Amino acid sequence: MSRETLHESLSAVMDNQADELELRRVLAASEDADVRATWSRYQLARAVMHKELLEPRLDIAAAVSAALADEPAPALQPRAPASWRTLGRLAVAASVTLAVLVGVRFYNQDAITGAQMAQQAAQPMLSLPQVQGPALLAGFSSESEQAQASGQPAQPSTWHEQRLPSYLRQHAQQAAMSGADSALPYARAASLESR
Amino acid sequence: MRFAPLAAWIVLGIWAAPAVADEAHDWLERLAQAERAQSYQGTFIYERNGSFSTHAIWRRVEGEGSHERLLQLDGMPQEVVRVDDQISCVTGSLADQLSTGPLWPSRQLIAAQLQQSYELRLVGKSRVAGRAAVVLALLPRDQHRYGIELHVDMQSGLPLKSLLLSDKGQLLERFQFTRLNTSMPATKSLQGGAGCQPLRPAVTQIETDPVWQSDWLPPGFALHASTQRRSPASDEAVACLVYGDGLARFSVFLEPLRGAAAEDLRSQVGPTTAVSRRVQTEQGDVMVTVVGEIPMGTAERVALSMRALPAEEAP
Repeated sequence: MSRETLHESLSAVMDNQADELELRRVLAASEDADVRATWSRYQLARAVMHKELLEPRLDIAAAVSAALADEPAPALQPRAPASWRTLGRLAVAASVTLAVLVGVRFYNQDAITGAQMAQQAAQPMLSLPQVQGPALLAGFSSESEQAQASGQPAQPSTWHEQRLPSYLRQHAQQAAMSGADSALPYARAASLESR
Repeated sequence: MRFAPLAAWIVLGIWAAPAVADEAHDWLERLAQAERAQSYQGTFIYERNGSFSTHAIWRRVEGEGSHERLLQLDGMPQEVVRVDDQISCVTGSLADQLSTGPLWPSRQLIAAQLQQSYELRLVGKSRVAGRAAVVLALLPRDQHRYGIELHVDMQSGLPLKSLLLSDKGQLLERFQFTRLNTSMPATKSLQGGAGCQPLRPAVTQIETDPVWQSDWLPPGFALHASTQRRSPASDEAVACLVYGDGLARFSVFLEPLRGAAAEDLRSQVGPTTAVSRRVQTEQGDVMVTVVGEIPMGTAERVALSMRALPAEEAP
């Protein structure tokens, strides 16, 4: 099967126009990283055309797989009390549920609520002990989290952490000091300081 | 597409009878005039996602001279005092990213210029801070900027309330007076507090000829300045280009990665979008970060359109 045929099928599936054969073809190829990447690009293109906000690299399936892989297999803990094993299962269930919920919610987000959720990332809610990090983080926007979720070596996003606050403040302060309409840009700049 | 912002206004319940465009223009001109020439004092709130703060403002205009003080009333006392539009003093953290001189021209509320990017409408009347106001809507003509709802004081022409709205009608930020008095503020209230210090540039920044250019810009936006300064985290020189359309502004930061591991990023802080994209050049990968009050899709498109100018073509 040619790559081109596959891409056509992919496009058809995305537009809900696929026949049985095309659907099977896409499903059979869905483990392929290239196919997944193509799918993401098509989604992004469609989102742009429809003016939707979308996190194209969100890959719930990979995130859930990673969460399950991280979960210690019950066989390795023969002495663990039954209650702990139950808790472990609950933890997996919880992380999967959260991943799906977060993912779905994120898909439906628009700018301001998306930012709200990103801020919630720092809130205690996300540090619940039974939550598996990668699965949960999959819904959020940084791609280092995606890297973790897909099982690649974790890359801390320190590069951005060191720079983005400075860039944001530089932009706000330069705007604030630029002219006669100063009250609003000033307030924007001040709001970045009072945390 | 044009109707999406309009629908948002209807949902907000502020859409009134079709406006007389000329009257809306007159109000905008009056607002621009009042911002320059009116003395006033008052308190206002600023609200965005994740932040709510209260501030006081005193502004005195005498002849050609102006004296203005802004003070945050809650939390740390952020403060800036400006005399004739030059910073007289400012609290440290509000200015630690500043170097010299304004990069953007002050807001150009010239109806004729804004007309290219925004549709101006008079949409009704309201009451803010106990004062009667008219409501102006600046509806974006494309999806590359946000809409603005302006409540203008009928008596003085000052902006009493300003809302920034996304194309889906969501409130991105609110600026709103709670009290306004058009009497002339006393000299004492225009004095900066103890933490207000003369501006000493904390960063070295030099004006440069741009070595980067954008292959695409949202219509109506123009380059206002090109500077270079030290990276906040390394010794790399970071190029900074600033753009505006007369109302909305964004900055583009370009920092060489030198093989550093850094992912693409999208982030939103209230009205401000930040998008980082890795761009390949002959000298290695560069991280392009667009920061500004523009929609995320637009910021992304700008980031992806940045190109290094070949050395021989650089002006």
